Amino acid sequence: MSILETKDLSITFGGISALDEVSINVEPGEIVGILGPNGAGKTTLFNVISGFLKSDQGKVILDGEEIQNLFPYERVAAGLARTFQHVKLFRNLTVYENLLVAQHRHLSSGSFAAMLRLPSWRKDEKLAKDLVEKMLDTINLRPWKDARPSELSYGTTRFLELASVLSLKPKILLLDEPASGIQQREVEALGPMLKGIRDETGCAIVLIEHDMGLLFSVSERVYALDFGRLIAEGTPDEVANDDRVLESYLGRTRRDSVA
Amino acid sequence: MSTAVETPEVPEQVIEAPSTVATKKNRRNQIIALGALAALGAVPIPFGDYGFFIGQYAAVYAMLGLSVTIVTGYAGLISLMPYTFAGLGAVMTGLIMTGWGWPFWLAAPMAALATLPVSLVVGMASVRLKTLYLAIATLTFSTALGETFFRWDLVTGGRIGWTVASPQLGPIDFGTDLNFYLLCLLVVLGLVWMTEGLRTSRLGRAMLAVRDNELEAQALGINVYKTKLAAFVLSGMMAGFGGAFLAVLLGNVSPGGYQSPVAEVTSILLVSLVVIGGIDRAWGAFFGAISLVVQSQVFQGARFFFPFFGMYSAFFLILFLLFRPGGLVQVSKITTELVKRRPVFGLAVVLVTVALNLGIAYIFIRAS
Amino acid sequence: MTLAINPIEVASFGISAGAVFGLLALGLVLIYRTTGVMNFGHWAIGLVAVVSYAWLTGEGMLPQAALPICLLLAMGAGVAAYRLVFKRIARSNQIIVILVAVGIAQFYSSLAALVLGFRPFTRLPPWLPMATLEVAGMRLRMSDVYTIGVGLAIAVGFFFWFRVSRSGQALRAVAQNREAAVLAGIDDVRYSSLAWAIGSGLAALALLIIMPHSAGQQGGLITTFDLTPLGTLLIPAFGAALVGGLVNLPMALVGGVFFGLTREFLVLAPAPWSELRTSVAAILIVVLLLLRTERFFATRQELEALEA
Repeated sequence: MSILETKDLSITFGGISALDEVSINVEPGEIVGILGPNGAGKTTLFNVISGFLKSDQGKVILDGEEIQNLFPYERVAAGLARTFQHVKLFRNLTVYENLLVAQHRHLSSGSFAAMLRLPSWRKDEKLAKDLVEKMLDTINLRPWKDARPSELSYGTTRFLELASVLSLKPKILLLDEPASGIQQREVEALGPMLKGIRDETGCAIVLIEHDMGLLFSVSERVYALDFGRLIAEGTPDEVANDDRVLESYLGRTRRDSVA
Repeated sequence: MSTAVETPEVPEQVIEAPSTVATKKNRRNQIIALGALAALGAVPIPFGDYGFFIGQYAAVYAMLGLSVTIVTGYAGLISLMPYTFAGLGAVMTGLIMTGWGWPFWLAAPMAALATLPVSLVVGMASVRLKTLYLAIATLTFSTALGETFFRWDLVTGGRIGWTVASPQLGPIDFGTDLNFYLLCLLVVLGLVWMTEGLRTSRLGRAMLAVRDNELEAQALGINVYKTKLAAFVLSGMMAGFGGAFLAVLLGNVSPGGYQSPVAEVTSILLVSLVVIGGIDRAWGAFFGAISLVVQSQVFQGARFFFPFFGMYSAFFLILFLLFRPGGLVQVSKITTELVKRRPVFGLAVVLVTVALNLGIAYIFIRAS
Repeated sequence: MTLAINPIEVASFGISAGAVFGLLALGLVLIYRTTGVMNFGHWAIGLVAVVSYAWLTGEGMLPQAALPICLLLAMGAGVAAYRLVFKRIARSNQIIVILVAVGIAQFYSSLAALVLGFRPFTRLPPWLPMATLEVAGMRLRMSDVYTIGVGLAIAVGFFFWFRVSRSGQALRAVAQNREAAVLAGIDDVRYSSLAWAIGSGLAALALLIIMPHSAGQQGGLITTFDLTPLGTLLIPAFGAALVGGLVNLPMALVGGVFFGLTREFLVLAPAPWSELRTSVAAILIVVLLLLRTERFFATRQELEALEA
C-alpha cells in the first residue's frame, strides 16, 4: 500500500488552474522527484498535501487515512513533514532551541508543570535534550548549536531545517528545493545524505528540485508537472527523455504568451 | 549516518546560554536574578511605611505586568485588557472575602480561577485575529466587559463595592504595611520564577515559536491556535491573581473602577511599563513596575507636575520602542558589558545616571 | 418637553452622532492607508484641539475664530507625530506601531491636561447655533442639522478633491501603492504628512463638534484628564472604520452613520439594552472582525508569503 496518495487534486486561483486533477502515489521508503518549470504548481501541490492550502477537490491519503480535512499540525502528527522553498526558521531562537521546538510533538508536560518545575516537566526536558543532542550529531550541526539562524550560512540553515523536520520522525518528508541557494559541495553532499536518511529511518521522501543532477541521482521515480497538470511519470531516464517534458522546458514562448 | 559536509569555522560572536533551555547555567542565572530582585526589595526599608506602600504598589503592578509578559512578550499577542482581568480578580476577591466570608488565601486562587472561563471565551473569539485587529478586539472586549460584567447584579449583588479586609495567617496580620509588603514581594518573586519556568518548557517554547513564525510552527506540528489560547488564558489568570492583591492593596473594591475608560488606560499603562522594563524576560515586568511606580510617586508629590509624568513616561516609552526594544533588561545588559570592559568609565556612567535621576526626583519633591 | 418619541428626531440624533464617528473613522482610515499606522492616539490628537479651544475661548476669543486655529494645532500635532516618530518605524512590526501610537496618545493627553491645569471643569462654549428647530411638529436641534451638513460637505468635498486635484490624486497613489508612487516620483513623506494633517484635522473637528455641544445651551464641559473621547467615541470609530475593512473611505462614513443610528435607537430599547449601548457596538465590532478572518486555511496573502 502506498504511504502517500493524492487523488485528482485540483485548485484554481482567480480562474487560473494551479493544480488540475493531480494524482500521485509514493511507496514506503521511496524517493520521488517532482520536476517542472517555475509556476508549474509544484509548491502548490506541497501546500495542498501539507494542509497549508485547501484544494477545491480531490483527496490526500496518508497511510490509508484521508487527511485532506486536517490542519497542518494534525498532518504532522499523522506522519507528514515538509520544508519550505525559502527557509523559515525561528530567528530569535538559537539552533539548539530551534531543534527543541521541533520536539514539541514528542513531549507532553503542561504549563503548570513547567511553572512549578514538577517531575513531569523535568522528564520532558531531559527527553527533549537527548533527542536534540542526537540530531546535532546526525546532521552535524554541533559547531553552531548556540548560534542564531542569521549567523549561519544559507546552506547551514537548510540543514537546520532538515534537522527540524527529521525531529518530527515523519513517515514521509516533502522537501521543497533543498539544494537552492547552497554551495556546490553542499549540494553534492545532499544526495548521499538524503539516501542515508531514507535508509536509516525508512521514511519516504518527495523532492522538488531544480538541480537536475541531484534530482535524477537520488530519485527512484519522477513526476513532471506543467500548468498544474501531470505530463509525465516514470524512472528518471524515461522522464528526462520525454518529449512533453523537454517541450515544457524549451517551449517557454508558449507560456509567456499566456502569462 | 554521518555527512560529508565539512565543518567550517564556528562564527566568532559567542552567544550567551540559550534562555529557553533548562541548563544548569540558566538555572543558576535565574537564582542570581531572583536574589538580585529580592535585594532590590530591601530598598524601601529605610523609608518606613511610605516606602513599603510604594513597594506594595510596585509589587502588585509587577504581578499584573507579568500577565503582559506572557501574552505579549512570549506569544507575541497584543492584549489591551489585562486590567479588566485584574478587575475581575479584584471583584471576585471582594465577593468571596466580604460576601462569603472566605479567607484571602482561598479568595486569591479563586480569583485566578474565575478569570479562566472569561479569558477562555474572549480568547477563543479573538486570538485568531492579526495583531491590529486583536488590539481593537481586546480594547472592545474591555469596554464591553466593563459595561456588562461589572454591572451585573448577579456578580455585584447590586452593591457598588466591598471593603476588603487584610489577610491573616494564624497570629500574623498582613494588615501592616511591612507585612503586606513582604507578602507581595514574596509572591511576585514566586510569580517571576514561575514565568521564567514557562519559558523553558514545551508550551513556552511553542509560544516563542508562534511569535517568531506561525507557518514554521505549524509545519513543526504546533497547534498555533491552542498555543495562543493557552497564552491568553494563562495571562488572564495571572492578572486575576494579581487583582486579588490589588483589592487588598486598595482596601476596597468598586466594580466601577474597572470600567471604561479607566480600564483601557490602565491596561495600556501596564503594557507600556512592561515594554520599558523588558518585554521578553520575566524580570522586565518587575523593573518596569518599579520605574513606573517610583516615577509616579515622585511626580505625584508635586501635583502641578503630574501631567509631566504622563508626558515623561510616554516620551521614554517611545524612545525605548525606537532604540532599545529590549527595555531596561537590555539596557542593564549593555551596562554590565560596559562595566566589565571599561570598569572606570562604566561605573562613572552608572553613577552619573543615578545622580541625575536622584537630582531630578529631589527637585520635583521639593517643588511640591 | 414631550416624552413622545418621534423616530425622525431620534434618527437626526443618530445621524449626527454617526457623522462624528464617520469623521473620526475617515481620519483613521486615511492615515492607515497612507502610512500603515492604525492611530490609537487619534482621540488624543483631537483632544489637543479641544483643549486649545477651551483655552483660547477662555481668553475671550470668539469660538468661531478659535476653531480654525485649533484645527491647525491638531494638524500640527499629527504631522509632528508622523515626522518625528512614525516615519522611523518599520510598518511591518505592528506591535511596535500600536505601542508607539499608545505612547503618542499618552503624550498628547498629558499635554492636554497640562494646558487645562487643575480645575474641576472648563467650559467649552458652543460654536454652532444651539436653537431648536420645529418642523412639522418635530423638534430638531440646530447643532444636529449643522453637524449632518458639515459631515456631508466634508464627504463631498473630500471625494471631489480626491478624484480631481493633483494633490488628491497623488495622495491616493501613495495610499494604493507606496513603492510604485515613490518610483513615479511622488514624495511619499510629503503626502504621508498631508494624510496625517487631514486625518488629525478630522479628528479635531469631530471632537470639536461633539464636545462643546453636549450640554445644551451652556455648551460643553471638559475635565482634566478627560477620557470621554477615548471611552465613548473611539470604539464606534474603530467599528465604522472596520465596516470599510480599514481601507475604504466612503464605507467608513456609512459605518459611522450605522453605529450612530444603532446607538441612538438603543436608547429607546427596554431597560437592560439601553444601558448596553457601547457593548452592543462592541459585539458588532467583534462580529465584523470575525467575518474578516478566514478560519481554517491560509488566505491569499499568506499564500503569497508562502510562495514568495
